[in-house]
Amino acid sequence: MNDWSDDDALMAALSEAVAESEAVTDRRREAAQAAFTWRSVDAELMELLHDSALEAGAAVRGAADPGRLLSFGRGELTIELEVGAGAVTGQVLPAQDATVTLQATGVEDRTVAADGAGFFRIEEVGSGPVRFVVTTSETTLTTAWVTL
Amino acid sequence: MDTSYPLQALVASAREGDQGAWNAIVERFLPLVCALVRRHRLSEADGDDVSQTVWLRLVEHLDTLREPDALPGWISTTTRNECLRLLAARKRMTPVDPLDAGSLGGVEADVSGVELVALEERQALRDGLAELPAGRRELLQLLLTDPPIPYAEISERLGIPVGSIGPTRARALEQLRNTRAMRALAAASLEAEGERR
Repeated sequence: MNDWSDDDALMAALSEAVAESEAVTDRRREAAQAAFTWRSVDAELMELLHDSALEAGAAVRGAADPGRLLSFGRGELTIELEVGAGAVTGQVLPAQDATVTLQATGVEDRTVAADGAGFFRIEEVGSGPVRFVVTTSETTLTTAWVTL
Repeated sequence: MDTSYPLQALVASAREGDQGAWNAIVERFLPLVCALVRRHRLSEADGDDVSQTVWLRLVEHLDTLREPDALPGWISTTTRNECLRLLAARKRMTPVDPLDAGSLGGVEADVSGVELVALEERQALRDGLAELPAGRRELLQLLLTDPPIPYAEISERLGIPVGSIGPTRARALEQLRNTRAMRALAAASLEAEGERR
């Protein structure tokens, strides 16, 4: 740890610390404040189980690269996602009829139906934070937020 | 509520749905998030997205956060993970340069332990500053302004004699060293040193 018994050294450190707060943009501050409007006390969360972006050597792929693979789960229910160029395809498991809603900040929710095998596709997905709400005949679960 | 409230109280009020308490938490830790994002060299737009994801995840994590004191660590870890995930996700979208294969994988882009300690120190300094009584805090902030504000003007703004600025600064810094945030930092640093021996 630094020696901050010296007043000038402490002032210099304080100056750097304050400079970090001044580097914060209003855009990020407003977005962070607005995140609170997404608070839903009773949402049941599906945790991230797997993200291929974090696999060792994930970047070194051939032409057959399937895109980024993500999966979330809670209890028996999982949702597997493949993020391609502009579209997300996925499957709800165990296979069943379900709806999947894509939520993102600043845009309307978009809901698609999964077929009997649990497959679904959502077109025109941009970059930024998203989460998915899975509704089956028995339950509604929400994934953790993830940045696409 | 503002950043001078203890974290316990801010987290408790945010759980009750208090937007003001949430804003104070944002104000307190957004500089840390932004500093971490900067060190990972993400684009400005990706940095915005990572920051937003961190805050959205904190919103959903608020109710399960057992120990508010663990919040800075949680924010730091979550931000680093999101940076690394996005860096890796972006890299796979762009053609791979075989000559550059050594720098791929994303893990090397993580911040070093030394940098993390420095980030924690700066967070503790800001927290300590927020703990000071308003008059002392304002004096230090005026003295830190760049370009420097002449003592005559500081004297006028705060209504204290020019001759007392120096001694008041010394007292304010002593008080800063004894804030809860700075004592916690010193204790954590001693502990880390003990573990190395």
